[in-house]
Amino acid sequence: MADLPLSGIRVLDFTWAWAGPFCTMQLAHLGAEVIRVETTARPACVTRLIPPFADDVPGPNRAGYFNQYNQGKRAITLNLTKPEAIEIAHALVKHVDLVVDNYAAGVMDKLGLGYDKLRSIKPDIIMASLSGYGQTGPYKGFVGYGPPASAAAGMFFGTGYEDGDPGEIGVSYPDPNAGIFGAFAIMAALAHRALTGEGQYIDQSQLETALVLMPEGLLQYDLAKREPERHGNHDVVMAPHDCYKAAGDDEKWVSIAVGTEGEWRSLCKAIGQQELADDARFKTAALRKQNEAALDQIITAWTSTRDRWESTRILQAAGVAAFPSMGNKDLAEDPHLAERGYLVQLDHPEVGKRVHAGIPWTMSGTPCAVRKPAPLRGADTEEVLKSLLGFTLDRIEQLRKTEVLI
Amino acid sequence: MANNPTSPKSPFSAIKVVECGEGIPAAFGAKMLADLGAEVIKVEPPGGDLARRRGPYPGDQSDPEKSGIFIYLNTNKRGVVADLTRPEGRELLTKLLGDADVLIHNVPPPERAASGLDSAALCAAFPKLIVTSISIFGDTGPYANWHGYDLTVTNAGGWAYLSPGASPYPDQPPLKCFGSQGYFQGGVHAATVTLAAYMHRLKTGKGQAIDVSEQECIAAMLEMNLMHWTYAKRETSRLGSRLLGPWFIADCADGKIFALAVEEEQWKRLVELMGNPEWASDELFKDRIARGQNQDALKALMGEWLSQWKVQDLYREAQKRRIPFAPINTMRDLYESEHLAARDFFVPLDQPGVGTVHLPGMPSKYGRTPWSLRRPAPQLGEHSEEIFCGERGISRERLNELRKAGVA
Repeated sequence: MADLPLSGIRVLDFTWAWAGPFCTMQLAHLGAEVIRVETTARPACVTRLIPPFADDVPGPNRAGYFNQYNQGKRAITLNLTKPEAIEIAHALVKHVDLVVDNYAAGVMDKLGLGYDKLRSIKPDIIMASLSGYGQTGPYKGFVGYGPPASAAAGMFFGTGYEDGDPGEIGVSYPDPNAGIFGAFAIMAALAHRALTGEGQYIDQSQLETALVLMPEGLLQYDLAKREPERHGNHDVVMAPHDCYKAAGDDEKWVSIAVGTEGEWRSLCKAIGQQELADDARFKTAALRKQNEAALDQIITAWTSTRDRWESTRILQAAGVAAFPSMGNKDLAEDPHLAERGYLVQLDHPEVGKRVHAGIPWTMSGTPCAVRKPAPLRGADTEEVLKSLLGFTLDRIEQLRKTEVLI
Repeated sequence: MANNPTSPKSPFSAIKVVECGEGIPAAFGAKMLADLGAEVIKVEPPGGDLARRRGPYPGDQSDPEKSGIFIYLNTNKRGVVADLTRPEGRELLTKLLGDADVLIHNVPPPERAASGLDSAALCAAFPKLIVTSISIFGDTGPYANWHGYDLTVTNAGGWAYLSPGASPYPDQPPLKCFGSQGYFQGGVHAATVTLAAYMHRLKTGKGQAIDVSEQECIAAMLEMNLMHWTYAKRETSRLGSRLLGPWFIADCADGKIFALAVEEEQWKRLVELMGNPEWASDELFKDRIARGQNQDALKALMGEWLSQWKVQDLYREAQKRRIPFAPINTMRDLYESEHLAARDFFVPLDQPGVGTVHLPGMPSKYGRTPWSLRRPAPQLGEHSEEIFCGERGISRERLNELRKAGVA
């Protein structure tokens, strides 16, 4: 096996829903052995329970949501409401480098799995808790999910159609965002340990990881005492800058953005209206911004009679930023993403061969790849308990009967 | 400042990073390393980084030395000027890379060879160097040389097509999220993978090239939408209904709140909080899926009750019952948040010529690794002489010549 950046790093993964699994998936991509802890005793693992299921046949191993974000991991069942399960978790901690959770603040402590306990078992353990509001502060116990985190972080306030109400943003963006920031913090802690021998605890608030992506809005308030305005897809400086109607059914759109004088002139030429470049309404960037409603009409008249890919190719050939607004089918069938090896077809024991989103980076010296599909529920329980803790099959069977390993 | 008192010396202070390319992606990736203690040199073109021309500015008065986004992205860095499109500028870059551990940049693939930033050539010349490039579509594939901005990235990655979600405005187009999220994701992914490559280098002494695609970063963040197609041949878009309910933005007496109940138990507690209205037991609202499908009716029925609350009161009362409501916060709300204040989230920074700026701070709180804002963002070319003459052996005469020629 190729030597990957995290080869030899073992992770005990108590995460659920989306943010935490997105985090530990990055570690699996980079070569870590991620052991995911689940239980059937509580319906915490929402991603196994909601559609889409393969061919619309429900089943915990058939959920696309789970299978997408748990690529490359192992899975064990451990019913953390049982004291024996906590003992097993403690025993496993001796054999891992890193523990990750994304419960609300305090839950791991209550379970007997807080950082102080884990550190007493393994002094250089790294523990990362990815909670909604962080482990301290007056809202530390508040419940967080991705959509309300978008609201709390001001993303809804800043997003919306021209002069309209605050809008939602389509996906639970603060979830995977907390996941990737968690992965960064864990990489920093691993590098820190490699350089100093020290482990540490990471307290990450989903709200705060979203707020570091809001500097344009926050600093406008701090520096100019103005709240952000909602202006659809329009930019504060650039015009044209929108998602335009394309030919075909009602759901075909093409995004176009012009950032420089050169691009503006190229656009005019590419759409066969060179005279626009000298039109008094559009002579400067400031005028184009001021008259963008008229400009949008002109662009729409051009895009709406053409296939979105045709518009894209014409404009890109002229050096103008344009791209179709991609739906899920578009992405799954995209030749560029396929050629780059981003789309991966994973052969899963229950749902067969399915296309997933893979790794959004490549490394020339340590070729990361999705090494295996998401695990079936509890698939590795026996193997992990046998190999790491020396459990016998009889003992495992007994622990199943007493509902410790469910 | 928000430095960690337990461990003042950062183990990352030995990491030397060179950053090129304008705007957000590489600057944010390098900032994440700089905030942990890495020494970052930012290379700007003679006209200055385009983030200097984006604002927001104090009092809305445009000034390249006072741009809020530039300051945010470039604290903790020293800045030099070098025109990489000219051979003399590329010589300066070579001087910087001689003892660097990491080069991080977002110069587009078609411009790289002419800027001395071809990954393979750099890896051959500097075998220990980690070369991290961030681009819209990645370094390879049919769209590698295509042009893009954040708007086109979030459309190319499939996010905009899903936004705002359950849209009440079907004739309005897919909607971009506030800010520059495609760029920021390129940056945070790049910083993460760069640290992974650094771990590998600690073990082996070898550098390597990293290629981060912003389009692919976004396409990995679409919840279960891609699998709706690959698992069940169902297309998804910004239209349709919510998966579950209640899930909507509502008016309170003094502002807006996001009303959400995910688990059935949360709904039961919400019904109690509403005073057990009779309609709540209607078949239309029997479970979370039904409440999602019948959300218009639900919203109308909940509306009057919601409108009697003040946002903060309802937020607290709901959260007391573990119901995940959240206010539609404004920027002012965030700066005035008692919770963020208690966690020292915003960090005051004294920026010359601007005064005190309150910057978004630590994304993750480390028990040991120090995180700090140690120096303001550089003025254009502020450290050219210090770095090129003081540390890289270029004579003052030569630097002056290069300045006159517009290279430095």
